[in-house]
Amino acid sequence: MKKSLALLLALCLTLSLAACGGGGGGTAGTADTGAGGDEAEPVNVAASDGALAVCLASEPDSIDPALNSSVDGATLIIHLFSGLAKWAQSDDGNLTIAPDAAEELPEGVTNEDGTVTYTYTLRDGLQWSDGQPVTAADFVYSWNRAASVSLAADYCYMFEVVQGYNDIWETDADGNPVNPDAKLSVEALDERTLQVTLYNAVSYWNELLAFPAYMPVREDVVADESWATKPETLICNGPYTITDWAHDSLITMEKSTTYIDADSVTMDKLEFYLSDDANNMLSNFQNGSWQLIDSIPTNEIPKLKEEYPTQFVVTGQIGTYYVCWNINEDILPASSTLTGAEAEAARAEIRNAIALLFDRNYIVEDISQGGQVPASSFVAMGMTEPDGTEFYRNAGHSDAFVGYYDVSTDAIESNYAAAVETLKKYYTFDEASQTFTDFPSLTYLYNTDEGHKAIAEYLQSAMAGIGITVNLENQEWKTFLNTRKNGDYSIARNGWLADYNDPICFLDMWTTNSGNNDVQFGRGDHASVIAYGVDLRDVGIPDDVHPVAAWPDNTYDHGTWAETYDVLISAIKTCTDNDTRYRLMHAAEDLLMSTGCIAPLYFYTDLYMLSDSVEGFYSNPLGFKYFMHCTISAYG
Amino acid sequence: MNSKTLVYIAKRIGLAILTVWVVITITFFVMRAVPGGPFMGEKAISPAAQAALEAKYGLDRPLSEQYFTYLKDIVTHFDFGPSLKQRGRTVTEIIADGMRTSVKLGVIAAFSALAVGVVLGAVAALRRNSLLDRAVMVITTAFVSMPSFIMGSLLLVLFAVRLKVLPANGTTGAGLILPIITLSLYPMAYITRLTRSSMLDVLGQDYIRTARAKGVSGMKIIFGHALKNALIPVITYFGPMLAYIVTGSLVVERIFSVPGIGRAFVQSITNRDYPMVMGTTIVLACLIVVMNLVSDILYKVVDPRINLE
Repeated sequence: MKKSLALLLALCLTLSLAACGGGGGGTAGTADTGAGGDEAEPVNVAASDGALAVCLASEPDSIDPALNSSVDGATLIIHLFSGLAKWAQSDDGNLTIAPDAAEELPEGVTNEDGTVTYTYTLRDGLQWSDGQPVTAADFVYSWNRAASVSLAADYCYMFEVVQGYNDIWETDADGNPVNPDAKLSVEALDERTLQVTLYNAVSYWNELLAFPAYMPVREDVVADESWATKPETLICNGPYTITDWAHDSLITMEKSTTYIDADSVTMDKLEFYLSDDANNMLSNFQNGSWQLIDSIPTNEIPKLKEEYPTQFVVTGQIGTYYVCWNINEDILPASSTLTGAEAEAARAEIRNAIALLFDRNYIVEDISQGGQVPASSFVAMGMTEPDGTEFYRNAGHSDAFVGYYDVSTDAIESNYAAAVETLKKYYTFDEASQTFTDFPSLTYLYNTDEGHKAIAEYLQSAMAGIGITVNLENQEWKTFLNTRKNGDYSIARNGWLADYNDPICFLDMWTTNSGNNDVQFGRGDHASVIAYGVDLRDVGIPDDVHPVAAWPDNTYDHGTWAETYDVLISAIKTCTDNDTRYRLMHAAEDLLMSTGCIAPLYFYTDLYMLSDSVEGFYSNPLGFKYFMHCTISAYG
Repeated sequence: MNSKTLVYIAKRIGLAILTVWVVITITFFVMRAVPGGPFMGEKAISPAAQAALEAKYGLDRPLSEQYFTYLKDIVTHFDFGPSLKQRGRTVTEIIADGMRTSVKLGVIAAFSALAVGVVLGAVAALRRNSLLDRAVMVITTAFVSMPSFIMGSLLLVLFAVRLKVLPANGTTGAGLILPIITLSLYPMAYITRLTRSSMLDVLGQDYIRTARAKGVSGMKIIFGHALKNALIPVITYFGPMLAYIVTGSLVVERIFSVPGIGRAFVQSITNRDYPMVMGTTIVLACLIVVMNLVSDILYKVVDPRINLE
């Protein structure tokens, strides 16, 4: 019968489709493997097989320690690999950097040329998950690999403090590396002794040792480029190994038997579900399937805070959400006759005045609602000074408030009045309508996202209040990045998260040639503007200390951006005295904030939901989450 | 099948290949014209690193050269190349993973929609204007007009969060139940309505009346004569529908976090993962072209009156 023939044809077709879908891969695990196919029962998955089920994000781009650049990827990596140091929680709940693969973390020895040499002894009995010993040579290989041009990893610059890095990345005029054979100054003195030399003393060195990029991999393992995508080829040296990986679905880790501190690992099995949909994550948390989710739908935040007072967690995250101006955008009225440095000084004053118009408390309390902290400086909350105080608390030069302007609720009216007074110097103010009539219209650029949009609309209304017309433009993520990097905007949304606990990672991005210099400092017309001066006495540097060789009397006046800011940043990078170094960083932030190109709005927070049944969990200031010392108490 | 049919099929296959080539070419060049590249991130990489990566993946060559190399690779050894985003994985691997889930989801959803839809539609037509018919029509109207993201969210909240009888995550076997239901409701409703109206049309035809007059049994009329002819429009609908379900389930994949091809496709564009964009586009285009082709051929097979020329 023709009907049955038709059906048969259709069936063959679908079967062949299914077959070709299933045949081509050869990767480990299929979508339907994983934690028991019969989750239909309303039981808690964790209670049933003792595993801790969490969801941080979707499939990471890579869990090769050298290639990873995401926070969720870093969390996976710290469970699989063990570097010289690690973040550990002490008995009083504080986080410290503790030795991991190294026996101890000794102080460095300063050499005559100012470089600093560290010598580490690896613990006896370190093993890879296939039973081979972990050697100092593995670290030498891994670090050179991670810093190499051929790997071109996003985080290769984490090694810029290690001697030799600059030689590796030195390029000729065409951008080709000059020293293809250059290596880092790191060597294996014997099987268990590792020696590394840094350009100068770095206060955050131990913290770098606990960063994924510094974790070891083995040369014969990584020779296969797909090694970090399959459980059978992923040989690691940390607390866990991957036993199953259903790509885009679920990574299952089980406690490693070869890890030297296996006794301290209390959670036998971890399930990392891979999803990027916050609503789906929430459903899985609410029905008890998952014990931690790292993403929360913004519109649910107020309700969740009430419903789950102990399970809705807000912790600090070292990052700043801010508005950045394109420094080459002329915002003076058409009638203005100012030019050069005078015009730039006027623009800086105007931009700083506009920064006073924003009510940051309204933004964090009514728009973003995630416990964010109103910001009045660029270097984020969470960065500490050598004396343990918070860097942001010492920013600015006011005794009355923290930072460069007063962002408390009480100051809103006086800020507004001050802004209007300043703007009156440059623009025509219509007393009847209380608005400026000749402010050129601006466009605010942001990447497509409901949260950013809500903030953009608020900024628009705040500026409209004094007659400044702001058009909003949103772009898809990478298009937005491209536009912002090229400086094709007037004002844009921006944000920055720290890679390590040192303010330099907020400051060195604004040098003229930095790839992250979205403001376009020192570029285009701004390159020749001589409008900047630095007086190091302002930040308390004594007269007999001369941290910047080019400035013998500790001051510099009338310079371009490259002659001031860039010089300051390179001085910070080579400064060996920690106290002076931090003072220089305050000087750099002062200079940065004086341009008005950065209007900080708030300091980021990390929001997540953590089940009450989980104990022993902690996360570090960079947002890495530690599950190895968790236990799950039976509940519900 | 006569020679005319074979010529027709050959022609259609030729046309299908041409279509896929046009899709490849347009996608290749349009994709490159979009601002932002695969190695651009919030934190900029150095120009030297950028150059090293471009050289590694051949992106430093002239665009026309890259285009011909790409065509050569897929024609000669069906190689879609490495993913630029997920380092260490090939596009073929990622697509195979995604397709495995999407095809499973799509095929089950499509066939359950077909089975339920045809039965409901036929019954509704045979019991025309009865309470059952009216009920079926009301329900199917609701399903046809309700977008899948609303239906999906409702099912999720009800079965996964409130009743806790099904998982909310589409990773596991049981987790596919909700996405399959969500995906199948629309085509099921559509097929029901299609079968019903087509069945009513057929039941009013002269040859049915003739069969009845000659004393053929009711069952034989329905299964032997009426249903067979009433299914012709369903068959034409089914092929493209299957392709649509497999390729277009992005919303459902998101709601239930199903690791399907739809999600991989959209992410590849956001990431500017050029080989992934090309690979998924080609696979999805082929699927749609093939499904349309098959449904046209089936159409001819079940109804000899249709002239393919």
